[in-house]
Amino acid sequence: MTKPAPNTSEKYDLGFANWVYENVNGGDKLGLCMQCGVCSGSCPIGEQMDHGPRKLFMMIRAGMKDEVLSSNTMWNCTSCYRCVVRCPRSVPVTYILQDLAAKSVELGYAKPNENSKFSNSFWWSAKTFGRTDERLVTAKYYFSFGVVEGVKRGLDNLKIAWGMIKTGRMHLTMPHQIKDKAGLKAILAKAAEIEERESKS
Amino acid sequence: MSEKKKFTYYPGCSSQGSALHLDESLRAIAPSLDIELEDIEDWNCCGASVGHIGGGQLPNLSLTGRNLAKAQERGKQDVVTGCAACYLNTHAGNEKIKNDVNVRAQVNEALSAADMEYDEDLQVRHMCEVIVNDVGLDKVREKVTNPLTGLKVAGYVGCQTVRPFAGTDGGGNYDTYDNPEFLDNFAEACGAEAVEYNPKTSCCGGSVAVMSPDRTLHLIKTIVEDAVEAGADVIATPCPLCQTNVEMYQDAINKKYGTDFHIPVMFYSQLMAVAFGLDGEKDAALHRNTIRSEKLEKMAK
Ligand code: SF4
Ligand code: SF4
Repeated sequence: MTKPAPNTSEKYDLGFANWVYENVNGGDKLGLCMQCGVCSGSCPIGEQMDHGPRKLFMMIRAGMKDEVLSSNTMWNCTSCYRCVVRCPRSVPVTYILQDLAAKSVELGYAKPNENSKFSNSFWWSAKTFGRTDERLVTAKYYFSFGVVEGVKRGLDNLKIAWGMIKTGRMHLTMPHQIKDKAGLKAILAKAAEIEERESKS
Repeated sequence: MSEKKKFTYYPGCSSQGSALHLDESLRAIAPSLDIELEDIEDWNCCGASVGHIGGGQLPNLSLTGRNLAKAQERGKQDVVTGCAACYLNTHAGNEKIKNDVNVRAQVNEALSAADMEYDEDLQVRHMCEVIVNDVGLDKVREKVTNPLTGLKVAGYVGCQTVRPFAGTDGGGNYDTYDNPEFLDNFAEACGAEAVEYNPKTSCCGGSVAVMSPDRTLHLIKTIVEDAVEAGADVIATPCPLCQTNVEMYQDAINKKYGTDFHIPVMFYSQLMAVAFGLDGEKDAALHRNTIRSEKLEKMAK
């Protein structure tokens, strides 16, 4: 947990903090952080993070770009918003972590991990059908680890799946989907295009 | 409120899958509460807590934009959803769009690709907040014809129903985010007994529990264990993901920790349906729980 600490013999990217302030959703509020540690102390899953949110925010200020963007902090965040409601300085901690996760993928820092694989499977369903088909998202996610691991994860969860099927909470027919899939596709493509345009300006 | 109040209803993806019983029981109790629900036509996914990673911020927000544009076609009445994640995303997205002209312009530019536009200032609300603020507990009490006498309920609120918006004007100021009482009040209004329960707003692991149960089983264990120790017959929750996670992982917890948990996890709306004297299967959807509550089923009509 304590591994990367600022090291005077290394060069840090001091423009990184500014980049985060300007480009990460909620990042403009990061300057308000007073390092009290309430966020990390409140986090239900903090012990599984490389660095709690407080420390990660200090590392951002210190310009530790590589360590921040390759940390597993944002991938463990469950989006429970406890840090957000407790932060005495109203820093939108969860939103910042969520967008850092997206940015770490975009910039090629995040190695494929469970969360990024799951997110991709999820988005695939939302984009393709307009709805989350829990069954297909889960299957696609399991098999994103390869066939052997996919089958293993499937078998591990067979009892759960059977319970869901018996109670009618998992259907076996066509995916649920919206009617205007073409419209949604056009909206999402346009939104991606605008985002690209804005990030360059 | 004695006249019917109309809402535009956003069921969310889980309403067609894992949380079918939330949707069924909400639709069943709505008339008793004088609520009329009219679905958003052709609604889409809200993006949940991971959409921005796979899709990016603006595409993810455009999912909400499309839902709001579709909701606007129904009129200016408030939008309501029973799902915690749908509420969080749609409410947060709506506020962002309403408060930032640039964001609204970008979302509308994206929506224009399908000839759609969101130019209203709708309100997005959570069903529990509507029940507290618009319907009122008195009305709930008044509708109870089949009190759940003797049923002990652990009110497990979870995170996203109350965090981060419960204590804000936009979130309806209906309760606090750290010690909410509305769920206990619902249970008691139905004639049940709300037990002392500490992990009310503890996190079940959310989508991390779905993708990597090993990282979060200890969180769910506390939620279950405290309910059992408090003598609860059932855990009640408003959140689709909490309901599924806390129900489906009890076996895995038993295996990992050598425990023997087997406690039903119900939606508050299922309890209300039973207490209102509605049908146990068709309305309360009690058959949809993988861990069933015999005690509640015996009480049901
Ligand atoms: S709680 Fe807020 S102010 Fe305190 S360390 Fe965390 S982000 Fe900074
Ligand atoms: S939202 Fe994320 S970082 Fe904040 S307390 Fe919850 S899990 Fe921890």
